[in-house]
Amino acid sequence: MKSYLVSKGDFLELIDGMIENGKEVVAPVKQENQANFKRIKSTKDILWSGPQTVISPKGFVFPQEEELIEYEVEDGIWVGSKVEAKSTVLLGIHPCDINGIALLDKVFAEKNLDENYLKKRESATIIGVECLTPCSPESFCYRKGSVLPWDGFDLFLTDVGDDFFVEVGSEAGKTLISGISRKTIQSDAKKLKKIREKRDNLFAKKQRKLKPKLEELPKLLKENYDSPIWDERGAKCFGCGSCNMVCPTCYCFDVRDCVEINLKKGSRSRFWDGCMLTDFTRIASGEIFREERGARLRHRTNRKDFYLFEKWGRTFCTGCGRCGKACLTKIVDPLDIENELYGRKGRR
Amino acid sequence: MTVYKPEIAKIKKVEQLTKTERLFDIELLSGKSLDHQPGQFVEVYVFGVGEAPISISSEPSKQPTFQLCVRAVGNVTNALHNKRAGEKIGIRGPYGKGFEYEYFIGKDILFIAGGLGLAPLRSFIRAVLNSRGDYGKVYILYGARRPQELLFRDELKEWEARKDVEYHATVDVGDETWQGNVGVITTLFPDIRFDPRKTQAIIIGPPVMYRFVINELKNRRVPDENIWISLERKMKCGVGKCGHCQINNVYVCQEGPVFNYKQIKSLPEAI
Ligand SMILES: Cc1cc2nc3c(=O)[nH]c(=O)nc-3n(C[C@H](O)[C@H](O)[C@H](O)COP(=O)(O)OP(=O)(O)OC[C@H]3O[C@@H](n4cnc5c(N)ncnc54)[C@H](O)[C@@H]3O)c2cc1C
Ligand code: SF4
Ligand code: SF4
Ligand code: FES
Repeated sequence: MKSYLVSKGDFLELIDGMIENGKEVVAPVKQENQANFKRIKSTKDILWSGPQTVISPKGFVFPQEEELIEYEVEDGIWVGSKVEAKSTVLLGIHPCDINGIALLDKVFAEKNLDENYLKKRESATIIGVECLTPCSPESFCYRKGSVLPWDGFDLFLTDVGDDFFVEVGSEAGKTLISGISRKTIQSDAKKLKKIREKRDNLFAKKQRKLKPKLEELPKLLKENYDSPIWDERGAKCFGCGSCNMVCPTCYCFDVRDCVEINLKKGSRSRFWDGCMLTDFTRIASGEIFREERGARLRHRTNRKDFYLFEKWGRTFCTGCGRCGKACLTKIVDPLDIENELYGRKGRR
Repeated sequence: MTVYKPEIAKIKKVEQLTKTERLFDIELLSGKSLDHQPGQFVEVYVFGVGEAPISISSEPSKQPTFQLCVRAVGNVTNALHNKRAGEKIGIRGPYGKGFEYEYFIGKDILFIAGGLGLAPLRSFIRAVLNSRGDYGKVYILYGARRPQELLFRDELKEWEARKDVEYHATVDVGDETWQGNVGVITTLFPDIRFDPRKTQAIIIGPPVMYRFVINELKNRRVPDENIWISLERKMKCGVGKCGHCQINNVYVCQEGPVFNYKQIKSLPEAI
């Protein structure tokens, strides 16, 4: 799609105007000593370039708790779909998180359409922003080819001084800025290219290296299915599931009933779940199919860079670095694991 | 509409099969038939309690009524056991891949059921026996822990009486009423003769059973592609999203629960 220039002042005015008109705008803001996504009252509150939020913004399209259906039992049974969403603008989303949402789009739109997700997704306008410096010391987005969005945004902003260079990803995005956008000329594209070259160099210098080639990760993980690494690292795992909760691409869920006290009305809701939790695979006979924590760590890592990578042709770890930061025992970081696998056995 | 919304169904009849298992006749209020394959399952919803994946125990049919054989082990299954004829539940499905029974036409079939595994297998057995002429030899091996845990006892008698079916049953622990074989299911193997290349072996039972039975079949030189199994995993959605049922990269609720052994032999997490 096309790109435009928009003056920062005009853009912020546009957003503030929307907020005044009651539009829900969510952006990263400072909360105590952390950054988190929150509904904002003014664009003044936005943290434009980090620090990174503790949790990814996936919860705005795939809430931690979400009603799927509701029912009433009174002279017969009535069941209704709970496919609802508020129109929301997600502003200041970093590329790793845009890509996370783009991956969720794939899985929830794959046959058996998940309307509950898709409705929320359609109602969200995603306005991303390019990171020109790494937003967290743990991130490795550059190594995962995730410093720019693959898909799944309406607008993507790059700070080029007084203006934002804006890539348009959808008709809705284009309409949104139609009153304030200016055409780009060749020199703007050149300027952007320079900024990105500088960004690449900086990220290449600052972010930890991924020793194996990105496209070889599925093969590396396949060959190392039985590596002792899994048990060595697994032995230190608390099974707390934090690494699942913070991850922009983890989308496993549990489904539970919530009944009102009168027992006549109720709903079924889904809740984020995590493959690192013991009960994740427990069946009624008591059997747990991935009882060992090492086996669960392997499953988590393989989902990101082997199973889903192979299936969709794209890594399911966007390199945001949140899991590595959240893990108290420092065992889960995919880049770390992959480098160790690559380095062992006197490979190459 | 959401894939998570169940259709409302009515319990037509409840039959106590054993102390822990009941057979439910169920009909969708829409009057539609389920149109299922043997080996497929539905998500059964007890309003206010939750859902459980349950195999369809009746044979494929155009009739609106189908059967589920349910063991009471936890929240949902116990709540279901408390339901009486006339009460309503929710049904989603049928889900998963079952047996494409046209594939088995003309072949010899060795059914091997352990415990509750007979519930799903019965769907296929009944389909085969209903058009018995379409198939070669038919063997049924069935093992339970104790005689009083045998399911569908009236039907077992019929199968035993049929001349065109070779039926053998065993129990792990016998009692004074039991005159048949005592021992795990593999102890039935020496009694039966089958042509390993012409026979399709179909196994459904508890996880521990598979390894032993498959070993036995391999000893008898049954090729991998003639072995079929159905795997149980935790399931929360049945539609390939929630991640609970995954075996390595395979979603059991989508690509299973019925698998050809050749297809999953290489999956370390399968058996
Ligand atoms: C594809 C598929 C087909 C199935 N087909 C059938 C079928 O045809 N018939 C059938 O009866 N079941 C079938 N099951 C199993 C059935 O889905 C489970 O028994 C059911 O989900 C249990 O749900 P629940 O809410 O009753 O149990 P929960 O409330 O989830 O209770 C189970 C929990 O309680 C504990 N628990 C309770 N009872 C026991 C016990 N006896 N031993 C050990 N732990 C226990 C366990 O730790 C477990 O976590 C099938 C499962 C799958 C995946
Ligand atoms: S696996 Fe870790 S680094 Fe990769 S996307 Fe998830 S949280 Fe971020
Ligand atoms: S890897 Fe770390 S964050 Fe993940 S479950 Fe284990 S201890 Fe928790
Ligand atoms: S049961 Fe949810 S993915 Fe298979």
